[in-house]
Amino acid sequence: MEFTVLFLAVAIVMVVAWWGTRPLAFALFAATLLASVATYLHHASDVLKLSF
Amino acid sequence: MTLNALGLYGIALVLLVAFAAQLLLHELPCPLCLLQRIQFAMLAVGPILNIRFGARPSHYAVSLLTAVAGAAFAARQMLLHVMPGDPGYGSALLGYHYYTWAFIGFAVAIVALAAMLLFDEQFRELDKPQAIGAFARMAVWLVLALTGLNVISTLLECGVGACPDNPVVYELLKSLR
Repeated sequence: MEFTVLFLAVAIVMVVAWWGTRPLAFALFAATLLASVATYLHHASDVLKLSF
Repeated sequence: MTLNALGLYGIALVLLVAFAAQLLLHELPCPLCLLQRIQFAMLAVGPILNIRFGARPSHYAVSLLTAVAGAAFAARQMLLHVMPGDPGYGSALLGYHYYTWAFIGFAVAIVALAAMLLFDEQFRELDKPQAIGAFARMAVWLVLALTGLNVISTLLECGVGACPDNPVVYELLKSLR
């Protein structure tokens, strides 16, 4: 569900960038980028099986 | 502005290839794969702002930040499958898995965006009204439509719950049967 919301958020950022104001587009972009990084950190809990 | 429109067509091509793999090969994107797709779609915000308001360094910064995040996500997935004998996730395209191509794509985007920032001349015409041609307008609509299709596709794949780590069926369609 979180990925659907993120895609929807990106679509909204695009719509605002095209029809809305710059400050609003930047604010929404920042929120969406932070949300995607937070989602990544939530899913990146698997241990990397690396051996060097 | 033409380069920005071409960038948008490039992003549209990446999203189309991802859709083609999903629909033709019946390979559903994993959560990390979806995150990389999201970053590719977000790359479009910078060029859209450039086309609408004129080129500004801050618009390139938007795409640069996105490309760095996307490259980090793709690198993480590459490292998850780096051990010898690991077949990787999904099928390979021209010898590389999609996340490897995604990493290359984001790296190319970072270099291209940095190169674009070298040309100061484009920033001299700030705050002048932009004439937006049909070529650029169509590029914006195409990327917007593909992002909209991804909203629907991801909803069908993940349903209303958490997306499975290794998705094999469209969860929403399964729950409706």
